[in-house]
Amino acid sequence: MADLHTGDSNKKGLLVPTSTTDQELQHLRNSLPDGVRALLSPAPAGAKEDRLTKTMEKQRIEERLSALGNVIVSNDHVALVHPDLERETEEIIADVLGVEVFRQTIADNVLVGSYMALSNQGGIVHPKTSIQDQDELSSLLQVPLVAGSVNRGSSVVGAGMVVNDWLAVTGLDTTATELSVVESVFRLGEGQGAGAINTTHKDTMVESFY
Amino acid sequence: MDQRKEEVTRRPLYVYDLPADILSTLSPKEDAEPEQESTLPPPDAPTTEERAESVAGSNACSLCGMKFHTVEDQRGHVRSDLHGYNLKQRIRGAKPVSENDFEKLVEGLQDLNESLSGSDSSDSEDDEAGEPRKDTTLSALLKKQAAISSQENGEDELTPKKKKHGSGKAPLLWFTTPTLPGNTYLGIYRAIFTNTEQGNETSILDIIQKKQLTPKPQQKIPTDSNNGVPLPEAYSGPHIFLCMIGGGHFAAMVVSLTPKQTKSSASGPLSREATVLAHKTFHRYTTRRKQGGAQSANDSAKGAAHSAGSSLRRYNEQALTDEVRLLLQEWKGMIDTSELIFIRATGNTNRRTLFGPYDSQVLRQNDPRIRGFPFSTRRATQNELMRSFVELTRVKVISVDLEAIAAAQLAASESAAQSAAQKAAKHPTTTAPKRSEEEETALLHTSQIQALIRRSKLPALLSYLKSNSLSPNFLFQPHEQNHHAPTPLHLSASQNSAPLVTGLLVKGSADPTLLNGDGKTAFELAGDRATRDAFRVSRSELGESACDWESARIPVALSKSEADARAAAEKKEEAAKENERRKAETERLKEEGPKVVDGPIGKGQGRGRMIALAKTAQEKREEEARGLTPEQKMRLERERRARAAEERMKGRG
Repeated sequence: MADLHTGDSNKKGLLVPTSTTDQELQHLRNSLPDGVRALLSPAPAGAKEDRLTKTMEKQRIEERLSALGNVIVSNDHVALVHPDLERETEEIIADVLGVEVFRQTIADNVLVGSYMALSNQGGIVHPKTSIQDQDELSSLLQVPLVAGSVNRGSSVVGAGMVVNDWLAVTGLDTTATELSVVESVFRLGEGQGAGAINTTHKDTMVESFY
Repeated sequence: MDQRKEEVTRRPLYVYDLPADILSTLSPKEDAEPEQESTLPPPDAPTTEERAESVAGSNACSLCGMKFHTVEDQRGHVRSDLHGYNLKQRIRGAKPVSENDFEKLVEGLQDLNESLSGSDSSDSEDDEAGEPRKDTTLSALLKKQAAISSQENGEDELTPKKKKHGSGKAPLLWFTTPTLPGNTYLGIYRAIFTNTEQGNETSILDIIQKKQLTPKPQQKIPTDSNNGVPLPEAYSGPHIFLCMIGGGHFAAMVVSLTPKQTKSSASGPLSREATVLAHKTFHRYTTRRKQGGAQSANDSAKGAAHSAGSSLRRYNEQALTDEVRLLLQEWKGMIDTSELIFIRATGNTNRRTLFGPYDSQVLRQNDPRIRGFPFSTRRATQNELMRSFVELTRVKVISVDLEAIAAAQLAASESAAQSAAQKAAKHPTTTAPKRSEEEETALLHTSQIQALIRRSKLPALLSYLKSNSLSPNFLFQPHEQNHHAPTPLHLSASQNSAPLVTGLLVKGSADPTLLNGDGKTAFELAGDRATRDAFRVSRSELGESACDWESARIPVALSKSEADARAAAEKKEEAAKENERRKAETERLKEEGPKVVDGPIGKGQGRGRMIALAKTAQEKREEEARGLTPEQKMRLERERRARAAEERMKGRG
């Protein structure tokens, strides 16, 4: 399927591009847990009841900004979108993903999806985001934020990585420093450190003492 | 004025050497393309100090300078119109507005347009009442501002402004001049002005005037004896560098802008020629035939191929790059001093060849003089470069006849309607309504006369001509269909109708000197001798003075009696010949007759005789010699030979 740049997802729903084929959509449906809704984006606001029952219908809306992955960033609770996104699209996002939608910019960039990576645990924003903006955004999103980079200094953090609450995948060029920032802000690998061997994982790792 | 225009259109105008009268009266074309002004106010982002003032912790909006107690308040604000408006303001580079200012703006909007509220509340009835209105408030406000800014543009058109740079610019600048008719426009390519010159379009006329160069008499270009590169003094004048690269073809040229007078200019009207300071082309086999694309592109996409062709192309690509870079190095002096650099190089490979980066490179991608050709160009050759130069420096002269265009459109629509009507009536004869009555009668006469001639009805024809008081030289209608035989005499001659010819000439007094569409007289159309004789007999009967027989191309006269005598003699001869032939035939029949008669009888008598007849001399001899002793056979043979010898002797004697 097309990369995540063309869509966005959280635990409640999934936005996929209109170019997705029926077969791909079927694969997605098979691999997604029940209750997750996939919606072809851009998708319309009407037919709410329909979508509750038939979640995989194909519908279309005229949205000028078609690469939704670049203009939307979301976790399970909130989404930031491009300031010029159409109001109907905003409603669809709120409906499908079950989130509060805010129109925002990241360090004066309108492509919030490209310049921000977000999970329920935390987020990384464009390295040039001011401290003040970070504070406000983190207050808005209610997650800790940090300004950082991926892929050896690339500022397009949203495009350079995918992250959920358990795992992050970043570009090959990402340095160890960048990775450590990613791990710390998204709280990845917590409880897996060296200290955990003798404490939380002691029972699973050490079967018995002689 | 028209004469002036003719002069202008006959000889191409050269931008750098415009005639004085045109140059002095040139003015930019009014109401050209609508000016695309940028609606953005000058970027005036809040300074860091302003921001520092509005710093208000995390539960705040620094953009709008507001502070909130709870996250819910903050989120509510972020979704408000004020925040949305300020966000747009910041994206546009304008100052964000305060809450009070925004209220005023919205109030002003409501005063302006009272129908605003609820104008877009049709969708989603289950939403809160305020929500749709909020949406429309912001969008309406933005729309209103857009409208105001466009209005301002309209008002400000009198004051000259800088045009927006970038796409949406026409490649040609249009001018008018009162020396030419009002609907004639002169176009000059924008690309031949430098970037700064393009910036201040108000003084573009001064710039054009400054650019004028007086043609110089032809002079030899001083060149370096080693490599033929012109010496620095050769390119002291203004010149431009043009270069095209693509598909293994490279062509470059340095052309002086100063026009050169050719030798022919001394006597005739002034003619100019471009002075090419230097030119060079390279052609190498680098592209993959039938597959297309450069070898290097294929190599990088699919890995290096190991065919003979691929290595050839790889080598040639490298060689081309080296040659081009060496050439640029040699021309460095000229390129550095040239006013403009026109380059056509599409694709990575080609751009890398020119712009490197490589050591001591000559062309740089960020050079402000570099520009593309503002029209499509073909394969990189010297001819194409020359064509491009001429195209660039020639002033386009177009005449737009607005009335004619309108009239043409009207006519087109009318004719379309007419043709539709005709189709409906199923009478697609477009000429039919135009015919006059005279033409109709002429067509009728034509068909009648032609029918009479084809049936050789001489008396009927003559009476028809007389009764309708038609000239014997009546021209058949329509002319194009009767190209070969336009008169009755021509038609009679081409039909080989001798009596008609004689009758028309003698009784009808037709004119034999008339020519048909091929320039032939009636006589020349005659296909046999009888017809030709008819002409000659008529000549003798009418007499030499009746008309100009020479121009009718009719040979010497032949009197009726002579013609008859000749015809009689010919008849006699013919009869004699026939008699002779008959006699010969009967004789031949007498001689050969029996055989011919025997043929079928012999057949009836049976096969034995046929076989005997068919026996050869050898067989006969063998038959005779059968049953004889060898001695007798020898004697018989001797006797036969002796007889044969006797016969031979007899024949000789």
